Amino acid sequence: MAVEVKLPRLGQGMESGTVVKWLKAEGERVEKGEPLYELDTEKVTQEVEAEAAGVLLKIAVQEGEVPVGTTVAVIGEEGEEVEIEAPAADGKAAAEEKAAPEPAREEESEPAPVTSNGGRVKASPLARRIARERGVDLSSIRGTGPDGRIVAEDVERASAAPAAAPAPVAAGEVERRELTSIRRTIARRLTAAWTVPVFQLEASADMSRANDLLARLRERDPDVRVTVTDLLAKVCAAALIRHRDVNVQYTDDAILVFPSANVGIAVAAPQGLVVPVIRGVERLRLAEVAAARADIVARARDNKLRQPDVEDGTFTISNLGMFRVERFTAVLNPPQAAIVAVGATTDRVVPLGGELAVRPIVTLTATFDHRAVDGAPAAEFLQTVKDLLEDPGLAL
Amino acid sequence: MPELSYREAVRDAMSRAMREDEDVFIMGEDIAEMGGSMAVTQGMLAEFGPERVRNTPISEMAIVGAGIGAAMQGMRPIVEIMYEDFTTLAMEQIVNQAAKHRYMSGGQLKVPLTIRTQGGAGWSPGAQHAQQLEAWFCHVPGLKVVFAATPTDARGLLWSSIYDDNCVLFFEHRTLYGLKESVPDELEPIPLGSARVHRKGDDVTVVATGRMVHESLAAAKDAEAEGISVEVVDPRTLQPLDEKTLVDSVKKTNRCVVAHEAVTRMGFSAEVAAVIQHQAFDWLDAPIERVGSRFTPIPFAPVMENFVVPHAGDVLEAIKRTVARNGG
Amino acid sequence: MLLIRHFEEKVEERFRAGELPGFLHVAIGQEAVAVGVCQAMEDGDVFASTHRAHAHALARGTHPNELMAELYGKLEGCSHGYGGSMHLYDVERGNLGANAVVGGGLPAITGAALAFKLRGEPRVGVAFFGDGATNIGTFHEALNLAQLWKVPAVFVCENNHYAESTPASQQLPITDLEQRAVAFGMHSTHVDGQDVEAVYRTAQRALEHARSGKGPVFLLAETYRLVGHYVGDPQVYRPKGEQQELRETQDPIVKARARIDISTEEYDALEREVLELVDASVDFAKAGTDPKPEDALKNVYA
Repeated sequence: MAVEVKLPRLGQGMESGTVVKWLKAEGERVEKGEPLYELDTEKVTQEVEAEAAGVLLKIAVQEGEVPVGTTVAVIGEEGEEVEIEAPAADGKAAAEEKAAPEPAREEESEPAPVTSNGGRVKASPLARRIARERGVDLSSIRGTGPDGRIVAEDVERASAAPAAAPAPVAAGEVERRELTSIRRTIARRLTAAWTVPVFQLEASADMSRANDLLARLRERDPDVRVTVTDLLAKVCAAALIRHRDVNVQYTDDAILVFPSANVGIAVAAPQGLVVPVIRGVERLRLAEVAAARADIVARARDNKLRQPDVEDGTFTISNLGMFRVERFTAVLNPPQAAIVAVGATTDRVVPLGGELAVRPIVTLTATFDHRAVDGAPAAEFLQTVKDLLEDPGLAL
Repeated sequence: MPELSYREAVRDAMSRAMREDEDVFIMGEDIAEMGGSMAVTQGMLAEFGPERVRNTPISEMAIVGAGIGAAMQGMRPIVEIMYEDFTTLAMEQIVNQAAKHRYMSGGQLKVPLTIRTQGGAGWSPGAQHAQQLEAWFCHVPGLKVVFAATPTDARGLLWSSIYDDNCVLFFEHRTLYGLKESVPDELEPIPLGSARVHRKGDDVTVVATGRMVHESLAAAKDAEAEGISVEVVDPRTLQPLDEKTLVDSVKKTNRCVVAHEAVTRMGFSAEVAAVIQHQAFDWLDAPIERVGSRFTPIPFAPVMENFVVPHAGDVLEAIKRTVARNGG
Repeated sequence: MLLIRHFEEKVEERFRAGELPGFLHVAIGQEAVAVGVCQAMEDGDVFASTHRAHAHALARGTHPNELMAELYGKLEGCSHGYGGSMHLYDVERGNLGANAVVGGGLPAITGAALAFKLRGEPRVGVAFFGDGATNIGTFHEALNLAQLWKVPAVFVCENNHYAESTPASQQLPITDLEQRAVAFGMHSTHVDGQDVEAVYRTAQRALEHARSGKGPVFLLAETYRLVGHYVGDPQVYRPKGEQQELRETQDPIVKARARIDISTEEYDALEREVLELVDASVDFAKAGTDPKPEDALKNVYA
């Protein structure tokens, strides 16, 4: 009996996903649990395993973005007849997920609701035809017709954008890297984040005690390598719990205040920037944080993150200290309201008790969504972070 | 080139036919001495005599039925139903008899009858003297339906209707009778089933009939001032319909408004919209808009009548809806 | 009349056998009116009939083959399969159509007669209808106009005292239907519709009256329907025994036979001939050509 492989909903608010690559070919035998294809959501690319054993009779969606629930393939017995409906343009399955207590995952704050109506793109028949003829993806177009309908003009404008053919350079060649869906996603999300009104606060912290703590912990338990990042995560989580006004998100209707600090760690993975999340850091012991961090970073680097790994973050830490960057400003990780950029810990000359001393100093630059967080609470938060870093015992 | 009013054009077509052809005669209520309630047949009694210009009693069934009988014997009678509201009284003869004799006899008979009638609101005639019922007849296989909007069209199309071998309902619009136009010296027959493009444009096609042809042309002028280029097409014959001209036009402009004075709901525009939607689906950049009377009988008080019946402004608004953008 | 009688009986039989589509109204009992009037008509005269039209068609010369073929829906039928029992046409023989709408054909007869008058042709239009039709609008308008314009028409009312299932008492406000004609100032006459010779003579006079330009005539023929309204009609509305009594006393064929000088052998021979004709018509019809489905699209427009 043939089984339809449908695009899974891997996380709340996920309405569609992009089939990137098939790991099995039509006609090949697959076992239950074997990786079948690569699926890219907005946050992560992951392998999807086969839920049934059999022969991959037909691949309905070779690649491209389809709504959750779309039949992408059929597994069955060899020789079975297969009939699949064309992928529905409206992701009806995606429309249900509104009742969840968790806040709506408004990853997109785009101007025109192209994928509202549960994934159906509103476009006139003429616009659809032109898009079809020119191979333009309607979901990438903003509609200027009534109700955001895409009209012919919109498609023509989109497809008339000059496709810059790399001019043949006399000496050497310009390499052309086609945009991966991850790159597009990053671009899209960070462009959206860029439109948020933000302010930055900077503070520097004396890491002497912190470094001591880390050294002692490593001595006691060499297997668990606790890093500055882990400590920062713990400290920030504590500060977020103390300063709940910063553990928030802005939505059109309300400010959402979260009960727990889910800290995301920005990781430079080979496929691009990803931000896996450690949940409930305020409840974890430092060693647990370290273990979690090590795990997700490793998986990030191996491109083995799954959708739940990158969801539900309330705060992000971006650490470029290992690259000897002194200080920098990070872009908000939407929809989070705050992110801290961590520079390198360097020995600096500081005044201490009237005299010059040399201390290990780290500079933190925090960026805040001003719609959700005001200056004073933000400053108090950062103050706490600094205090806790300088005297970790205070976190107890 | 002589200038003829719409009513004179209608009279001219009938008179020319009667001069050339003994088999053509006219009958109806008050058409002889009075010259017709709309003064269309004025002067014809004097020219052709009472045998061929026949006043009838108030007997729409008999008027139409007698026309059918004479037509079946090879004559070409033109009967006048004073108001198209009264075609209802003769419906049985029109629908069950005139439309079907040819078919039911297996082709042995034809009914070359022309039924002229008129209607139109705008002068507080009240609900029973103001209807536009052309759509009903388009729904009956065996009938042909013509609705001319200009003197030239009326003259050329009435001639063709008289000489068509089928029963033709020839609709005139009351408010157009006085409309004057230069017409060719010689009557040029216009074949049934051919639309006319009154005004060329690129952004939206307005398909209009009767009085609304003129309202649409006015709206097109206003639209032009706002940068919208409007094409106005009059089908002229509603059955058979010149689908090709209408569809080609919409394929060019990608947008369509259909306008008639008749009630919008279930009106002729519904058929036009269906035809265009089906044949030009991938060319449509906006939903097809329809302009017509609201779903009420025609009220008496002028302010109410004005509200119910469509005007140039309604066509203009419909035009704008087809080109609207976000927030529009 | 024999032809009509046996034809109609055969039709009933074939219908009950399930071979004939639609529904049928046979004129058993009213043969004399049909034969009397139709035989009195001349070439060039035209007539319109009712839903009970087989008798008139046969009486005016339509071959039983063509008629039967039409009932079987074949191309060889007189209406080529397009009309059926209630839409029998034979324009060559002046048959302008049976009509399923009560009174539907009357105004056109006024019109045809008008055409004859305008053209100066010595032709008459004849309309057949029943007593029930004297109630409907077309009857009044058609006769009114015919009389007003003095057109050469004869309006033959076959008063069989029932309008479908409704007896005269329930649908006619008058008992003497000649009164209908008085309302229009129209010349009228009446006849015993079961006496074929009387009908013939009366019809001749009426046709002559109209043809001579004196104006239309209302011809009232008293007759009886010896069967139900339609084939299969249980006639719950008819008093018990009425039909039986009428069959015994008012059969026009029996009456005619009694009047003319015909031997039993001659009669039997005639009957045999008729039966053969009728049987042959069934064979002809059954062997006929079914129209192609797409033929339905033809003949809508001239």
